[in-house]
Amino acid sequence: MSFPPSPVAPALPLTFQPLPYSSLQGRAGFSGFPSPAQDYEPRTLDLNTRLIKNPTQTFYLTAAGDSMEGWGIFDGDLLIVDRSIKPRLGHILVAMLEEEVLIKRYALYRGTPHLCSAHPHYPPLPLKNTDCQLWGVVRAVIHEYLR
Amino acid sequence: MIGLVDANNFYVSCERVFDPFLEGKPVGVMSNNDGCIIARSAEMKAMGIPMGIPSFKLESLRKRGEIYLKSSNYELYGDMSARLCQLLRDACPAVSPYSIDEMFIYLEEFSDKQCLTLGEWLRRRIRRHLGLPVCVGLAPTHTLAKLANHLAKTSPHYQGVCLLQAQSATTMALLKQTPVGSVWGIGRRLAERLAVNKIYTAWDLHEADLKQLRKRFSVVLARTALELRGTPCLHMNDLGQPRHRIMTSRSFGQPTGAKEEVHDALRRHAQRSAEKLRQQRSLTRAVMIFLNTNRHRRDQPQYYPHAMIPLPAPSDDTRTILEAVRQGLEQVYRPGYRFMKAGVMLLDLVDAEQHQLSLLSPPPRNRHPHLMATLDDINQRMGQGTISFGMTNADAAWQLRCAHRSKRYTTRWDELMQAGTHPGAIRECALRKQPLT
Repeated sequence: MSFPPSPVAPALPLTFQPLPYSSLQGRAGFSGFPSPAQDYEPRTLDLNTRLIKNPTQTFYLTAAGDSMEGWGIFDGDLLIVDRSIKPRLGHILVAMLEEEVLIKRYALYRGTPHLCSAHPHYPPLPLKNTDCQLWGVVRAVIHEYLR
Repeated sequence: MIGLVDANNFYVSCERVFDPFLEGKPVGVMSNNDGCIIARSAEMKAMGIPMGIPSFKLESLRKRGEIYLKSSNYELYGDMSARLCQLLRDACPAVSPYSIDEMFIYLEEFSDKQCLTLGEWLRRRIRRHLGLPVCVGLAPTHTLAKLANHLAKTSPHYQGVCLLQAQSATTMALLKQTPVGSVWGIGRRLAERLAVNKIYTAWDLHEADLKQLRKRFSVVLARTALELRGTPCLHMNDLGQPRHRIMTSRSFGQPTGAKEEVHDALRRHAQRSAEKLRQQRSLTRAVMIFLNTNRHRRDQPQYYPHAMIPLPAPSDDTRTILEAVRQGLEQVYRPGYRFMKAGVMLLDLVDAEQHQLSLLSPPPRNRHPHLMATLDDINQRMGQGTISFGMTNADAAWQLRCAHRSKRYTTRWDELMQAGTHPGAIRECALRKQPLT
C-alpha cells in the first residue's frame, strides 16, 4: 500500500519555527488567566538531581575488570564519583596506587584499614606505609543492560 | 580584601588529575598544532627547559622517555576552569574569573585573619575536590593581590597563601625588590619609558608623583600607583572591557599551496571570529586576512601577504565577513608558495548598541540576527563547527595536529577515565578488547 504524497507544506525559514526553550522560561510577560497546571509544571523526575549531589566535584569514570563483581560493579560500568565526600569504612573508593587508578572497597581487614576487592584472587591491599592517594568516593554505579 | 586564586601550572595540573603516571615527572603541554611549549611542570622548569621552546627541539628527550609532552586539550582545561570558578562561587561572596586559571574573589568586611583562614581552606579544598594545586594572594587591591599571589607561589615560607597589607614593612620590602615591569599591566615598552624617568622598581612607582604620572604617561598608570599604595581604583570593568580587535589564526598541520585549502582555513577562522564578535556584542568595520609562508625554510620562496577589506557598514553578519575574506584572498593569493599559517582579524570594533546609522552610509543589508543567534546557539551546544557556511573539508591539511592529546575526560562519554578493579585490570581489558590478528 502506498501513501499519497503529503500536501506540500509552505517553506518556512528556519527562524520562524520556535526555538527549543526550556519550559521554565518563556512565560515572562504572560498575562491573563493562569493555567491551573502551572504549579506542577517543573516537577518531573530528574536522575541528575538524585545521583549527583555535588555537580562541581562529580566526575564520571568507566570500570575495567571483573574483581568487583561481588559488589555489583561490572566491566564497562559507569561510575559516578564524588570527590567532595569524606571516605568512611564501607565506601567504595577510587584511589591512585603506584601509578594506577583503582576501584576498591575501603574496609577493615584483621583490624586495620585495607583496600579490598570482591574476588579471592586479589588479596586486600594494606593502606599502611603506602603512597596510596584517595581520588574520590563512588556514589553510584550505572549498569546498562541494553547498550 | 581582594584575593587572587591562581592555579599552579594549570594545564599540566589538569593533565595530572586524570593521569597519575605523570605525577612527579617532567611534563610539558604544547601549543595548538604541537608547535611549542606553553606550560611546564616544576620538574621541567628545574631541567632548564624554557617556555616557548619549539617542540621538535625536545623530540629526542621525549623519545628517550626523559620528559613527557602533551598536546593541548582545551576542552578539558575549560571544563576544569569552570569547576574551579564554581567551587569559589560556592564559598565566596563574589568571584570574577580573569583568565582560564586566575580568578579574583572579593571579601569585603572580612578581617585579615578571616581572609587568611578562608584562603587556606580554599587551597585545601580545591586540592582535594578537584585535584588542582592553587596559590592565593590577598591584598586590598587587584594590583597588590597579583603581587601577593606571586609571592605565595615563589616563596615556600607562605605555604601557598600570602596576605599583603598596604603600607606594611613586608609590602615595602617586596615592592623594593620588584622590577616595575613585573607590576600588573605594565608592559616592556612602558617599563623602558619609566626607566628613563628613573622609575625602576614597584616602590619607585609607589613613591612617584601622581600628577606627573598622569601628565607624562596615563591615567591608568597613576591608578596603578595608587593601587600599589593600597587604594583600590581598578575595577573588573576596566580589566574586562570588550576587546578592540578579534583575531583567529592557526598554523596549518602541513604547509599547503592549494587555494581551496587556504580559503577553507580562512573561512573557518572568519566564522569563529564572527562568533566571538557577536558574543561581545560588537560590530566590525574592517576585516584583515593574512598568510605566512615558513620563514625558516630559506630554500623556499617567501611571501607574507595581507589584505584589509573595509566593510561598507559595520557588521556582525558571518556572510558579510566571509565575502570580505573571499575578496581579500582574491587580492593576495599567488600560486607557487607553500603557506604555513593563515589568519583573520576583525578590526576597529564598535559597540552594537551604541552604533547609529549614518545618513550617508548605505542601508544595512537585510540582517538576520535570528539566523546568527541560532547558528551560535547550535554550535555552542553541539560543538564548534556543527553548522558552518560552505563546506569545509575535514581532512584538509590545515586541521589541527594534536598527536599527543590526552582524552577529553570530562566532556566526552567515550573518553572517560578508566579505573581498574585490581592492579593491571586496565591493561588486561585493553588486551582482551583488541581484535585478534
